[in-house]
Amino acid sequence: MPINRIERRYVPFAYAFLLPTIAVFLLFYLIPIVTVVLTSFTRWDGFSTPTFNGLTNYLRFFSQSSFLISLRNLLLWSLIAATLHVGFGVLVAFVLFQKPKGWKAVRGVYMIPNIVSSAAMAMIFRFMFNNDFGFLNSLIRLVRPSFQVNWFFESPWAFVAVTLTWLFYGAIITLIVLGDLMNIPSDLHDAARIDGATGFQAILRIQLPLCRYAIGTSIILSITSRIAMYEAIALTTRGGPGDDTMNIPIILVKAITDLNYGLANAAAVFMFLMGMFTLWIINRLFRMNNPIY
Amino acid sequence: MKNIMILMVMVLGVSFLLVAAGSQEVEDNGMVELVIPHYKAGQNVGGKFFLPQVDRFNALYDGTYRIVIEELPQDGYQDKIKLLAQMNKLPALIEGVGDTVWFEDYMLANDRVQDLKPWLDTKPHVKGLLLDDALEYNTRDGKIVSLPLALARPIGLFYNNTMINPSKPIGEMTHEEFLDMLGDQKIAFMTSENAWTTNLFYTSLIAAEPGGVEMLQNGVEEKIYDYTGPIWREATTNLQKVLQDYASGNTLGAAYADAANSFMSRRSAVIPNGPWMVGDFAPDSEDKWSNGFSGDQVSGDVYPGNFAIANVRGYNWWIPNGLPERELEAALAFLEFMMSPDELEAFMLVEGGVVPKLTLSEDFLTKQKKNPILVDLATTINKDTRLAPLFGDVVPGSIGNMEFGKLLPKLIDGTFTPQQFCEELTLKAAETRL
Repeated sequence: MPINRIERRYVPFAYAFLLPTIAVFLLFYLIPIVTVVLTSFTRWDGFSTPTFNGLTNYLRFFSQSSFLISLRNLLLWSLIAATLHVGFGVLVAFVLFQKPKGWKAVRGVYMIPNIVSSAAMAMIFRFMFNNDFGFLNSLIRLVRPSFQVNWFFESPWAFVAVTLTWLFYGAIITLIVLGDLMNIPSDLHDAARIDGATGFQAILRIQLPLCRYAIGTSIILSITSRIAMYEAIALTTRGGPGDDTMNIPIILVKAITDLNYGLANAAAVFMFLMGMFTLWIINRLFRMNNPIY
Repeated sequence: MKNIMILMVMVLGVSFLLVAAGSQEVEDNGMVELVIPHYKAGQNVGGKFFLPQVDRFNALYDGTYRIVIEELPQDGYQDKIKLLAQMNKLPALIEGVGDTVWFEDYMLANDRVQDLKPWLDTKPHVKGLLLDDALEYNTRDGKIVSLPLALARPIGLFYNNTMINPSKPIGEMTHEEFLDMLGDQKIAFMTSENAWTTNLFYTSLIAAEPGGVEMLQNGVEEKIYDYTGPIWREATTNLQKVLQDYASGNTLGAAYADAANSFMSRRSAVIPNGPWMVGDFAPDSEDKWSNGFSGDQVSGDVYPGNFAIANVRGYNWWIPNGLPERELEAALAFLEFMMSPDELEAFMLVEGGVVPKLTLSEDFLTKQKKNPILVDLATTINKDTRLAPLFGDVVPGSIGNMEFGKLLPKLIDGTFTPQQFCEELTLKAAETRL
């Protein structure tokens, strides 16, 4: 769209205000990303000069015994995140949208886990799932006194335990969806009511479709968080028992501790591509480039 | 006016970036302050001696040097050091290297470690205390790359003498006799962090195999990457049996604090650990005891087969190259302080061990006699005691510190046979090679 003379006067201002953002993006995102991509094709210990080694790091990364398990875990966690995790967050948003008594208090309480650091949350879960004195097993032993499960350290429970550390904490999703719900023009609800739509029909035909962007964004956030999930695993199972709860960030950090930065960066590039793929596919699925209203 | 405003916005933006990306150093009035990240702090058993020692140093050099300890978890210490090395932001003092391959291939090969030889040559009272083996190991191309040990602390085990009553010293037993003697009593093992207590007992099982001690000793010079040989298979088979039948109830997922708690609450009768744990058995640590446990119930011994874990051929405290002169002086002053006879004796009274080249004071000998566990540990080591380094010290860093502990649950629940465990560990070790 062409701009007029008056608007043109403000173009330099626009660039000036954009400058810090562009500089931050270049310094802290683009240059590191380019460096990571370039060094992923090198043999680099972090000290000496990187030497080009072609696809060796990628071949080693894909042939690692823990890679396939990490990929399987990522797919499972992504599926759980996109369905149960986002679903729960959306459900809470819809319940809060009805503004039942005490909804503001519930919204506040639901946010609490989000202001606790991931590391602290991981430690809380380690205690909760402790076999000897953990809350969960103590509860189960009320009905099954002989119950013994070391949640974080036994197959297949470790995967379940790690999943439970984030599964029900969807406050961000709730807030995003709630924001969209509150922005739905009231005349749409009025029209639906006049046409005789039930509450459930209004949710299904009006509210859910109009929250499409918010739900799509939530799924993107949720899956990309699973791709980058580190603390919840590093501070509980460290990828164990065996490789049961391995994921790509754990492989990446392990490669760094073994001073194999080329391999670590190959893992990082893979994570980046997975993130981009998620973005692309959810954008397509939720038609996020099409206008809602 | 418009252009001035644009310029101001640009300057503000760029200034913000420069401030955000830069760092500031605070200078004190002539006093050098060293901030040292270390795990011997907080609840870590090593902090019991180390923190007061730092306080004594700060008091002695009040107004000149000051050391501030930045607390780190023990299992994150070496990784943090590696990352700081990568960022060229190493602290002035670092204890140990954890991963000798990293230290030799990257720190030494790139000449990033301060040569201590010129300093030690001017300090004969310090150099005279150093163990010959340790000095030889730390001398590389004529340089002394870390402060060689003066003190040897063979690692054995502690047991509760009210829960088990060995008919003879444990060192004179075989592993079978030892386990028979245990009966229903348990050993405080762990699988979390670096699986330290399990790591120790596994080492004793490896050492019990023919050729095991020699293999461990050779592993100091050349790391072991293949664990599929008969020594490993047999030792792992025995470890599986011990873990399944004699491990404390909280072994799965237990960190060091859990293992220590198991022992100091009488839920385990034995804990493999080094003499530094003696401090936890002193009366001033009774807040850590429960369930009728008391420090005077504890005895110390070596492992079955008269074996103890010791490795003086390792890297100790070191200083990165290129420190500002005053910081280097402060770091060296701390090393000298730690090597003073008073500090070495104070250390031995709290954490045990022997300094063979130090003439002990009467005061020390009197105080030592008041601690029967220290006397136990000093007398159980004899000329026939076989010594070898820890399993974790002869394998790549991530194997000893991470993979071993991660795989243990699968060995315990039988998902892995001993052979599979060894093969998996070998596979993981191969992946650590560049």
